[in-house]
Formats: sequence, structure tokens, C-alpha cells
Amino acid sequence: MSWSDALAVLSGLFAGLLSGFIGIGGGLAFVPIMTIGFRFPQPLAQGTSLAAIVPTAIVGGITHIREGNVLLEAAMWMGGGGVVGAILGALLAIQVPGHVLARFWGAFLVFSAWRIGWGALRSATGAARHPLPGPPPEGGA
Amino acid sequence: MIPLQVMWLGVSQRHANANSLVAIIPISIAALPIYLFLHARPQVDLHFALFLIIGSVVGAYAGARLLNRVPDRELKLAVGALMLAAGFKELVFP
Repeated sequence: MSWSDALAVLSGLFAGLLSGFIGIGGGLAFVPIMTIGFRFPQPLAQGTSLAAIVPTAIVGGITHIREGNVLLEAAMWMGGGGVVGAILGALLAIQVPGHVLARFWGAFLVFSAWRIGWGALRSATGAARHPLPGPPPEGGA
Repeated sequence: MIPLQVMWLGVSQRHANANSLVAIIPISIAALPIYLFLHARPQVDLHFALFLIIGSVVGAYAGARLLNRVPDRELKLAVGALMLAAGFKELVFP
């Protein structure tokens, strides 16, 4: 086992942890690790990432089901729709330049991050500014 | 899939993350043959993938077990931070 193999195991551990916790396939971490860290060409990094995602998602998904985290019917609909969406996306990617798609995707991610992250932050500060009413002070009216 | 579930359907962050990972199973299985068979030569480094998988299945199990131990608000912040970083990366280096 070479240093490169050991680094691959550590990279996999990090990407897998992110995958199981956040619910992403892991490609978000796998691909940059391979292209930047190991100088893989982009298509090879994407294909290798996908090969690693299949068992990662199976182990993470089964663990989530056993932990009671999954709305199974919704997940099955999403999986089926996702397969169709992936095919349509691949066809769209042939027609539209890659950098345009990437920018649309980036804008969607930033918008979603704002809606989800900012909403969570605001709920906490709102709770601090408007605390729940407590018992009346002693001796008060 | 995660933001659409949380923003439009009102699904909790915990369920959205877990549903997404389960839905990725058939999607990744359907997409893998494209990289294995439809290119002039397979675009998969099986040796490297094997060592990635050794780490990633352990990580995925630990990450999935961790999900239940983190409150929804902190989970939303973690998801938001990751999406923000990934979104800016795509906008600046498409």
C-alpha cells in the first residue's frame, strides 16, 4: 500500500463523512480531491467519483433507513425522478456550454444557502431578541 | 434535492439529507455505466476508487449516525455553509 493509497483512504473517509452527514453523494468532495490533489483529468475524476459514490450511498442510505431518518416513499420518488432528471440533464449539457450551466448551478446553490442558512441564523437571533415570556417579577403587579 | 425539499416542501433538514442520500443510490447506479462503457476507454480508475471506498463507507456510516445527534438549526447552518462554498466555486471558477 503506497502513500497515495493511504491518502485516498483518508480522502474517502472525509468525503464519506460529509456524504453521510449532509446527504450529498460525495462527488462534491471526491472530484476536487482527485483533480486538485491527485492531478486526475476531469472525466476520469468524475467517473472514479461515481464508482465510489455507489457503495458510499448504499452504506449511508441503509444506515439512515435503520436510524429512522428516511421518508422512504419520498426518497423513492426522488430517486426515480432523479434518474430521469440525470438523463435530461446530460442531454441539456450537450446543448448548453458547461460554464453557463455551472454559473446557473452556482447561483442556485448560493440562493439556497441564503434561504436555508440565513433562515436558521435569523430564527436564533429572533429568539434572543424576543424571548419567551417568563414568570412575572416577584412583588410586581 | 436537499434545498428543494427544505425550501418548497417544508421537510426537516434531517429528513431532507437522509432522503437525498437514499435517492442518490439509483441515480449513481444509472449513471455509472456511462463512464464505464460509453467512452472510448473506461473513465474509472478502479484501483484508486477501491481505496476511496475503503475510507468512504466508514465515513458514510459515521456521518449517518452523527446526523441524529445534531440539532436541526446547526444542521441547516452546516448545509448552508457547504452550499455557499460550492456555489461561489461554481460562480467564480465554472
